[in-house]
Amino acid sequence: MFIVDYVKDVYGAMKSLLVGMNRTGYYFTHHKEIITEEYPDNRETLVLPERFRGEVVMAHDENNEHACTGCSACELACPNGTIKIINKFDISPEGKKKKAIDTFVYHLELCTMCGLCVEACPTAAINMANTFEHSVFNRGQLTKRLNKPDSKLKAGVE
Amino acid sequence: MFSLESLTTLVQDWLNKTFPPTWALLIEFVIVGILAIALFAALGLVLVIMERKVAAWIQIRLGPNRVGPLGILQSTADTIKLIMKEGLTPDGADKFLFNLAPFIVMIVSMLILAPIGFAKGFHIWDINIGVLYVSAISSVSVIGILMAGWASNNKYSLLGAMRSGAQMVSYELSVGLSVLSIIVLTGSLNINDIVLSQQNGWWLFKAHIPAIISFVIFIIAITAETNRAPFDLSEAESELTAGFHTEYSGMKFALFFLSEYINIFIVCAIGATLFLGGWMPFHIGNWESFNHIMDYIPSFIWFFGKTFFMIFLIMWFRWTFPRLRVDQLLNLEWKYLLPISMVNLIVMTLVAIKGWHF
Amino acid sequence: MSPATIIFYIISAFILVTGLLAVTTRKIFRASIWLLFSLIGIAALYFWMQLEFLAAVQIIVYVGGIVVLIIFSIFLTIKSGEEMPKPILIRSIFSALAVLFGTGFVVRIISLYTFKPISTTAFNLSVNQIGTQMLDTKDFGYLLPFELISILLLAAMIGCIVIALKSNDKEATTFQNSIQ
Repeated sequence: MFIVDYVKDVYGAMKSLLVGMNRTGYYFTHHKEIITEEYPDNRETLVLPERFRGEVVMAHDENNEHACTGCSACELACPNGTIKIINKFDISPEGKKKKAIDTFVYHLELCTMCGLCVEACPTAAINMANTFEHSVFNRGQLTKRLNKPDSKLKAGVE
Repeated sequence: MFSLESLTTLVQDWLNKTFPPTWALLIEFVIVGILAIALFAALGLVLVIMERKVAAWIQIRLGPNRVGPLGILQSTADTIKLIMKEGLTPDGADKFLFNLAPFIVMIVSMLILAPIGFAKGFHIWDINIGVLYVSAISSVSVIGILMAGWASNNKYSLLGAMRSGAQMVSYELSVGLSVLSIIVLTGSLNINDIVLSQQNGWWLFKAHIPAIISFVIFIIAITAETNRAPFDLSEAESELTAGFHTEYSGMKFALFFLSEYINIFIVCAIGATLFLGGWMPFHIGNWESFNHIMDYIPSFIWFFGKTFFMIFLIMWFRWTFPRLRVDQLLNLEWKYLLPISMVNLIVMTLVAIKGWHF
Repeated sequence: MSPATIIFYIISAFILVTGLLAVTTRKIFRASIWLLFSLIGIAALYFWMQLEFLAAVQIIVYVGGIVVLIIFSIFLTIKSGEEMPKPILIRSIFSALAVLFGTGFVVRIISLYTFKPISTTAFNLSVNQIGTQMLDTKDFGYLLPFELISILLLAAMIGCIVIALKSNDKEATTFQNSIQ
């Protein structure tokens, strides 16, 4: 029947509009749900999610040792050439030559925070940090060396 | 008790005593003009910040919160910025009409203000065709928009203006019919009479379901007539950049922006007058003591409270509903709102003749 | 001169000037805008005579309805922004003559008419009275013209529907063939 359909149409429209208004009305009256972060004011108490990707860092333990073997898997995985690995050859006590990392160069200005290098790393040497305040006055400061000076490869990591 | 009526009579008497009648009238014109402009400026500032705050809270944001406490001075700062900006006129535009259009829109908004009763005995012009006057003058504002759209010499502007014209012309019918359904009950077009007829209760409650239906139709149709979301096809940002005022900048843009908000205020004031009793306090039938307590709240507070309630409803719509397509817009008007309001008008006439309302 | 007379002359001058501009401007959109102002001036004259109802109807019908319609049809034409060519000489001569004779005719009629001072008091019609008069069948009632006008509107509406109706393809092709 035409009239029945028409009335049903109007009723359905009114009902769905009221459902929508109910939702927005709920948000309007419940200010606790507000998700805005007042960033520079709440800098001390700011809590970032654990998986937030700010920059690539290399973890060092208390003996200034890291887990990077210099395999350059991350360099290959990087889509825009952010990482450059410079290797050197250590002489082991047995007199064998062994590849080791000299400088892990990280260009923050090129990085898109995709996290592919972290996934590619076989020894979990690098990971994404939470920091995000990257502004500096000089572009050169964005090119970073990730392995600390005089750091060594952790024993037992191949 | 303080009332605005005594204030106006005081000023009137004093002017008539000290000046000849013509001069007294002219001075009154000037006073009324200054008051109207002051009201416009204040309303513009308040409504813009209200809109932004409502939008923010509905979208779980904080909204403007930097300028002044809670950001309430944000719109003042924006206005100062707009005044400082250069008012550009595009090269290919029809310069005369381009510069005339914002003033026409603004003047029309000012004219509609005349018959609205702000408080008991406080209105600019107690004209005996009040509601008809409002709907007549408001139909002129289409011309300003069409003029702006055409004179800009810009495809987006022209498209926006044509959409807006078609929309305003067709939704005027529903507004008119839903207004008529209250006029049928009051038997007068005078706004003062309409308010006085609601002394024992507002029409929204007195006239049962037909009044509620016509209230709903009225509020939908005025949302469309003031070109607000979900009916903001004429200035749809994502399709037409800004519609008819794409080419405007500085204070000329501000006039369009301001007149949009003033129009909202005026249509809401008319709605509040017709359905919610204007400045009439909330009265229930013959409960004398209750009515007496309600009378202690000044009448202009009642008027502005009701008007701002209506404005809030319209803002709530804007931030809840998605925009309609052009064909959906015209379908809604011609297939749903118009037939329903016609049937509703007949039912309302029956109610009025039989005296079934309270 | 009383202020009311001054206002009357201002309004009349406004109507005449905008009306003149409407016929002399060579941009068609501007002509419609001048026409709009002229019509608003006439509404202002009604307000001046305190015939508020008539003034409101004038604005609704002419300004809100007819001028908007004119503007829409101008929008749909090409070249709405360009200046129209100057009229040819013979046409302007004949239109000047028409204006001259028209003015002479009107002036003659006005001079022959004996104006009587109005003895009745100012009338203030309520909407109730206007409505009753409009649908009255007795003396001075307007029911018959009212209904005739509604028949005219009905005919116009049916015409619109017929024009807008989708004709089925077969008929359309036969129609086209017959044209060719």
